Amino acid sequence: MGTSYIYKRDASRLFIALRDNGKRFKLYIPKDSKPVVNGQEMDIAFLEQEDLHYVFQWNDKRFNCEIVGRDQNKAIVKVNGVEYKYSLESIFSYIRRGMINTDANKLDENNIISPMPGKIVDIFLSEGDLVNVGEPILTLEAMKMQNEITASCNGVIRKIKVQNGQSVMKDELLVEIQSIDV
Amino acid sequence: MKKKILIANRNEIAIRITRAAHKLGMIAVVFQSDREPDALYLKYADEVIPAYDSGNEKAVFLDPELIVKLALENNIDLIHPGYGFLSENPDFAQLCVDNGLNFIGPSPQLIRDMGLKTVAKSMAIKSGLPLVPGSDGPVKDAATAKEFADKIGYPVILKASAGGGGRGMRIVEKSETLERHFKSATDEALAAFGNGDMFIEKYLQHPKHLEFQIMGDKYGNVVHLGERECSLQRKHQKIIEEAPSASVTPAMRKEMGDMAVRFAKAIGYYSAGTIEFILDEDGSYYFMEMNTRIQVEHPVTEMVTGVDLVDWQIRVALDEKLTLKQEDIHISGWAIECRVNTEDTQNRFSPQTGYIDKIHFPVGENIRIETGVENKSVVTPYFDSMIAKIIVHDTDRNAVINKTLQALYDFNLIGLKTTVPFCRAVLKHPEFVDATYTTRWVDQVYVPEMLEDEDDEVIGALAATILYASEYLKLSSDIPTYKNDRLNVWVLNKRLNY
Repeated sequence: MGTSYIYKRDASRLFIALRDNGKRFKLYIPKDSKPVVNGQEMDIAFLEQEDLHYVFQWNDKRFNCEIVGRDQNKAIVKVNGVEYKYSLESIFSYIRRGMINTDANKLDENNIISPMPGKIVDIFLSEGDLVNVGEPILTLEAMKMQNEITASCNGVIRKIKVQNGQSVMKDELLVEIQSIDV
Repeated sequence: MKKKILIANRNEIAIRITRAAHKLGMIAVVFQSDREPDALYLKYADEVIPAYDSGNEKAVFLDPELIVKLALENNIDLIHPGYGFLSENPDFAQLCVDNGLNFIGPSPQLIRDMGLKTVAKSMAIKSGLPLVPGSDGPVKDAATAKEFADKIGYPVILKASAGGGGRGMRIVEKSETLERHFKSATDEALAAFGNGDMFIEKYLQHPKHLEFQIMGDKYGNVVHLGERECSLQRKHQKIIEEAPSASVTPAMRKEMGDMAVRFAKAIGYYSAGTIEFILDEDGSYYFMEMNTRIQVEHPVTEMVTGVDLVDWQIRVALDEKLTLKQEDIHISGWAIECRVNTEDTQNRFSPQTGYIDKIHFPVGENIRIETGVENKSVVTPYFDSMIAKIIVHDTDRNAVINKTLQALYDFNLIGLKTTVPFCRAVLKHPEFVDATYTTRWVDQVYVPEMLEDEDDEVIGALAATILYASEYLKLSSDIPTYKNDRLNVWVLNKRLNY
């Protein structure tokens, strides 16, 4: 299953749910398709909802969920009779809180620099979009060849430093990416 | 004229007995307690007697005088005590008899005898039932205790005769440490109870709880209906029971069953009764006690034998002769009962009270549900936390384990936590599957993490995120950098619902 185009590129729909046992779930709640959990599109059907009671179906199994506790960004969910505790973050608060690697060198590593001199002929994403590792961000034309420049990590596009049609030098910074890999 | 039977009980057992009464063409009468005025069992009965017990210290089910008074006022013929409450109270049984009410159970004298452990044990010895090796009375000093323990073998357990709550109790693994333990246990008992008398008994390291169901009439006929294994307990209360037991061979079943019948005949027992044994891993077994009532777990026996125990209980009380013959009773297939209690199995089995928003039971062939609640029922703090029983029958043990697991997955209750996830974890555990589990399983093996499931964990994260996202997306819509659709949870849900 190709994952590169699953994200509908709206980072405000990406959330981190951290369980009390330390397990981390990255969830993308798309507008009009299936949820993406830890980068994988899940064939989870939302069957019904009543107040704080949700019923899902996944792999032919029914899951009865009940939100039994709520305090700010914390939630206790009873799934099939067993309670699980989560704390929830939007990807932005998650990044702000420095809960992921914010090492300066590491940040630079994820930025996209021009591998050769050339001209930007296409930009697929915009600032604030989510990107998966290996997903094309822009096309650089050099020596009459079109090269797709891809993301080196999963993350959020922080800044696009170039415009369509712009000529760039080798090693010029093209795109800044905030990694959300843990 | 139709006979009137008063059920001095509540919950699922009141409904179970109502069913038996109807089968016999009787009028089923129940009490309405002010502590639980909308209980489900009231809807099944033919007549309801309001007990007006709100001002009383005890609920009506625990008040012998009130029960008898109301029974007489309402022209009751028979009284069924169910289990718990006054079912094994000899004074209540006697009071019924003295007032001309037909108490469904054995004679008051037998209830009294079996309730006194020392009396029950001495009667058991007379019938040749083995008892756990131990001192007949208190041992006078450490030297005597050591001599005795060396004879019966280690480990042994020292018990303060006035003891309780684990105080004045020591498990002794070897001869060398006995003296030291004896002294500390004696001191502890003296300090706690003002009495340092010590009993000594063989300590079983891997005990199983077995019990034989018997049924007798007033003419000396007694049969046994095989055994139940009830080793899965928490806080000394059973949660899962099965019939038969994988630890009982056909030869053992015959030997123990015959012994149970011989005992019941010797003491002149009639009605339904249960003889409890403790089983050691080497196959030796010892008499523990006799229960003189119908038990919570009687349905597993009914399912493997096809015998209606409550029906026979009532018929025996009406002086009918037992037509069941031992040679006609066969154990067919395997049955498991899971008790549904409203309690938090992730948090030391603490009871939960409150509303049941919604309850859904599994449905299917050979799945029997005994419930005392329905949608919108209230679980009050006044009575115990068992709300239902799920009983499943199949051809063999493996099949019934799988069928029960599926049934438990089909159960759902919104509003309170139950023992159902715990039962699922037990049925999946290798020690249950290979039937090596003992009465100490919960204390020694169980950890709440066993209840968790990786798929459930993912779905829980999704549910929590959907809730959070719906609020977050609303709130953050004024953040200029990111476009938002002002999604609320309803819209979001609709969109997820493809």
